[in-house]
Amino acid sequence: MNLTAFLFRRLWQMVPTLLGVVLLVFLLFNWVGGDPAYVLAGKMANPEDIANIRHQLGIDRPMWEQLLIFIRQIVTGDFGNSWATREPVSEIFRTRLGPSLVLLIPMLLLETLVAVVVALIVSAVRGSVLDRTLMVTSTVVMSISLLVYIIVGQYVFASLLGWFPVKGWSDNLWRNLTTYAVLPVLLGLMVSIAPSVRLYRTFILDEIGQDYVRTARAKGLSEPRILLVHVLRNAAIPIVTNVLMGLPVLLTGAFLLERFFAIPGIGREIILAVERSDFPIIKAATVYVAVATLFANLLGDLLYRALDPRVHFE
Amino acid sequence: MINHMGRLLFILLGLWVMGAWAAPPEKVLRLELSAAETGFDPVMTSDLNTASIEQQLFESLLTYDYLTRPVKLIPRLAAAMPIVTDQGKIWVFTLKQGVYFAPDPVFKGQKREVTAQDVVYTLMRFMDPKNRSPYKFLVEGKIIGLDELGEAARRTGHFNYDASIPGLEVLDRYTLKIRLKTTDYNFAHAMAQPMYGIVAREAIEGYAGDTASHPVGSGPYHLTRWTRSSLMVLERNPNFRHEIWNFDPGNDPDSQNIAAQMRGKSIPQIDRIEVQVIEEAQSAWLSFGKGELDMIGLAGQFAPMALHGTHLKSSLADRGIRLDRISDPSIAYYFINQQDPVLGGMSKEKIALRRAIFMVQNDEEMIRVIHKGQAVRNAYPIPEGVAGADPNYRSLLDYNPREANRLLDRMGYAKGPDGYRRQPDGQPLAVRYTSSLSSQDRELDEMMKKALDRLAIRFESEKLKFPEILKAERQCRVQIRLSAWIADYPDGDNFMQLWYGPHTHENNGSCYQDPEWDRLYEKTLTMPASPQRDAIYHQLARLLELKGVTKVSTTHIRNVLTHPWVIGYKAHPILPSVWSLLDIDVSRAPRQ
Amino acid sequence: MPIERSSPGLWTLAWRRLRRDRVGMTALLVVGCYLAVVMMALMGWIATDWTREVGVNYAPPVFWAQDQDETAQRSVIGNDTPDGPIALYGLQDPLAPVLAAIRAQYPQDRDLVEAPRRLSLPLGGDKWGHDVWIKVIKGSETSILVGLVSALLATLLGTLMGAVAGYFGRWVDDGFNWLYGVFTAIPYLLLVFAIAAVLQQKGVVTLILILGLTGWTGVFRLVRAEYLKHKTREYVLAAGAMGASNTRRMFIHILPNTSHVILVQLSLNVIGFIKSEVILSFLGFGVPVDVVSWGSMLNEAQNELILGKWWQLAAAGLAMAILVTAFSMLTDALRDALDPKLKN
Repeated sequence: MNLTAFLFRRLWQMVPTLLGVVLLVFLLFNWVGGDPAYVLAGKMANPEDIANIRHQLGIDRPMWEQLLIFIRQIVTGDFGNSWATREPVSEIFRTRLGPSLVLLIPMLLLETLVAVVVALIVSAVRGSVLDRTLMVTSTVVMSISLLVYIIVGQYVFASLLGWFPVKGWSDNLWRNLTTYAVLPVLLGLMVSIAPSVRLYRTFILDEIGQDYVRTARAKGLSEPRILLVHVLRNAAIPIVTNVLMGLPVLLTGAFLLERFFAIPGIGREIILAVERSDFPIIKAATVYVAVATLFANLLGDLLYRALDPRVHFE
Repeated sequence: MINHMGRLLFILLGLWVMGAWAAPPEKVLRLELSAAETGFDPVMTSDLNTASIEQQLFESLLTYDYLTRPVKLIPRLAAAMPIVTDQGKIWVFTLKQGVYFAPDPVFKGQKREVTAQDVVYTLMRFMDPKNRSPYKFLVEGKIIGLDELGEAARRTGHFNYDASIPGLEVLDRYTLKIRLKTTDYNFAHAMAQPMYGIVAREAIEGYAGDTASHPVGSGPYHLTRWTRSSLMVLERNPNFRHEIWNFDPGNDPDSQNIAAQMRGKSIPQIDRIEVQVIEEAQSAWLSFGKGELDMIGLAGQFAPMALHGTHLKSSLADRGIRLDRISDPSIAYYFINQQDPVLGGMSKEKIALRRAIFMVQNDEEMIRVIHKGQAVRNAYPIPEGVAGADPNYRSLLDYNPREANRLLDRMGYAKGPDGYRRQPDGQPLAVRYTSSLSSQDRELDEMMKKALDRLAIRFESEKLKFPEILKAERQCRVQIRLSAWIADYPDGDNFMQLWYGPHTHENNGSCYQDPEWDRLYEKTLTMPASPQRDAIYHQLARLLELKGVTKVSTTHIRNVLTHPWVIGYKAHPILPSVWSLLDIDVSRAPRQ
Repeated sequence: MPIERSSPGLWTLAWRRLRRDRVGMTALLVVGCYLAVVMMALMGWIATDWTREVGVNYAPPVFWAQDQDETAQRSVIGNDTPDGPIALYGLQDPLAPVLAAIRAQYPQDRDLVEAPRRLSLPLGGDKWGHDVWIKVIKGSETSILVGLVSALLATLLGTLMGAVAGYFGRWVDDGFNWLYGVFTAIPYLLLVFAIAAVLQQKGVVTLILILGLTGWTGVFRLVRAEYLKHKTREYVLAAGAMGASNTRRMFIHILPNTSHVILVQLSLNVIGFIKSEVILSFLGFGVPVDVVSWGSMLNEAQNELILGKWWQLAAAGLAMAILVTAFSMLTDALRDALDPKLKN
């Protein structure tokens, strides 16, 4: 099977999944998602006002009609305006994506880099005291709640020691990267590095157990060379896949950091939308993230197949 | 040689001094909001955070004096206070001349003056069903002919802004005559709300569909950057008229101090205002401590950090930080749904049950533990600073668990084998308390659980998102809730209407419909604030307690902390923001 | 007739390997201690009444008690309203006769005296004066039970679906794979909100269901892969040829051979869910007010740290960190013991 056919088949398989996501979210939030009309109507609204608002938002229409509208929105990519602020939904996501990425990309890069290096080191000295110490330390570090890290970290490093600003965000990418994002990224790394180290260590150990390593050793190649060139190249496949698949999860998962450090990212926006029953934003967020997840998975698969000659497109 | 060098140095120094003199440092005020704003179309605004921004962008006809207490209405866009005739039915407003909207592409480079026609347009917008305005109640049913326009628009789907109606008559370019259907002395308060800031029709129609992100007003500032729910930047409106800071400080020494520093300065003094949304109180507090924020509304839970009783801690006072402390024009009140099958009804048993539930609410403990002392006991429905308030009112429902228990014992609420009380007919009894998912509300849940434990009544918790709470309340499905109300305008009616029978399904969450109460209340509607009206208000308040409808619990204290470089700040109970009236001492402010 | 041969099974071997792992055994001991505490709390032997307010508000820990500020005073509930009749403004009190009778009989009701409270507690007190030590124990009970039960639920769901999908394949597999795709594609945050909204009622059961219903996907993926692998193995085909039913082959024959995978997943889920409970509490989906958990304690303690009341944050954070560390190490040891290939 060639690449085009494989791609085509995979894209085609996305349709039912996406449809399932759409249906599930639509039903759940329509059924129990709350009625924003009562908030939008203000402090002194009468039932007519509320009926008027419900009519304008279109939530008085039959369920199937609303579903059709939703599907049309997905196809056209236009999710209309936010119910709470009447701002175009696409505008909201366009402005929120940047800060989320400024937070997440450094986090992901650093995490991968540090985790791979540490994993290589502990694999090289597996079973030694250093290995054990590092593994125990990483277990301890990851066992503390992110909430505790944030509360204590913000208090100690930003306020008491004054090394970082307490919160904030600017328009300047460089300033964000070097000033505002530093502490949140470091705190995020506290909980995310350790699991990666552990995972990558197993990947690397898996490879070390392979025949080709034994052959390489027999040929007299030095241990660092074996590790860095041969083992790492093969272990890179699961590592890259893992990183890719983590990306969509992180996109919405950083809401704690975004809230405490007042970063205008997507996770915080979703919480706000749920609190306000702002259905257009919820719908759009679900669809965007679902599509991102599906494509990340596809990309992961493609890379896997591209890097590993043993795997064929089936 | 030396001479040359010296001369050169001298010239350079001179240039530097001149340069510094020519461009005075920009004055920047950095602030926070604790919850996200919505959008900046005044007609669509419902929350105080958004209103605080709009107060600076738009101008209403009237406003409140900065320093006078109790608050007093003064003209803003109007040249003088309106002339009111025909027992408060006819209001004539005359506008200031030479007031211009902030520059905006919709005006195509022309300077656009504010006229009486803009006021008509602004008022009409409130009744346009398309705008679904949360604050239309302030004009609804009042202006002759306006409701009919709204009704017609509801039928045809199109609001006729070109119609001329008897209620809104433009006498000349700057004069407007408003005719009301009935006597209404509170109409002036409506015209002082930031939501009633005057807008230009070209701007609204030019940005149709996205007016929320294109505010065009005549206020001292205009919005130059907006990152939604994160950052708003206001800069001075270049078209703002020449206006001089001149408020009467009265006898208050703090106010006199402010007046001495500010009087005679032109408005506004500050060039740029940066408002950040910071949801987590810890982040805001730490930011202020580091000087990243110039001013902060102190969240209740951090009061012990900043205050010793009612005074600023010396560690902060030594840094020159100032505390401004006022009682909010708000009440927190418990209400019980009078239509609830278990708790509602007017039999003696039901009244006793409700009153017993109110009598085990320990307000003192709530103030001490939850509000950390930043609230005061207030049993009267009208809070301090609002016309009709009575700080000496004594509650019938003060904390008294023993008497509450004896009352239930006598009324037949016997304890079952599980130790919890049952209804007189032997049916199980449980009280469902409705609250939101926030952590503050979790503390209040704990309070209510403790209170009901004192009565041996089973506690049930209903956790809903805020929109759902409102919905349940308006459908009379809430059993008991601790609600809060903050004054829209400083008149007692804004509070008393919370229990008016016809407001059931609107904001009478207790769904209390009592002909006796309603009849008394209706009498007050056409009365100005007066001892006669106060007498009826007292009866109304007492009836709410006697029948076990509501227990007014506390009033919050607002603590605002300012860094020493912020000049001229005094907390205002009604105005959502006063930023244009402040100044910054650049020599003391941290370099930015 | 087969000869009885005492060949040590997978589990016996694993246990032998585990016994040799010192770190693993220490971790097992720690986890065991926690479980013992949970059991004792569950039976009502210890920490019976955490809601009793035994100390003053924010009572400091005993070893920290020298630093007492203005909040550490004995709290007195005052009823400072003056006595004397309250004006009724010409209205009638429907309860007047009853109240008059009560007041005549018990004239002293208005004087309220509170039981004395302690100025310091072993690990300090929270804002109400609850003993943090007792709260931590009670909180351990809740958090560990929530973690265990929801992990069991998630593992059960994941195993069942994975088994059915992997075993039957074809359209059944497609169906479950579709469901898996849908659940993993929806942002976790929104899934939590949605499920919480559907379940409406707040309580420990809701919490368990949220965690269980969102957490089954990992187990599903692995178990399905195992079943795909095993169903064509000889021993399964042989069982089929001997007339074993599908159910029998799935759960009697294959399941024991995948149990090591499931066990490791189970313990990973326990760890994950104990941590998730904290985040859910932050979002307002935590335990109800009459229940205490580590998550509810950490969220309460959020604002206490900068007030200088660090003890609740420290106690709950530490209790949780120790258990999660021990449990993680136990999981590692278990994995190594069950699947010695992995260990080098």
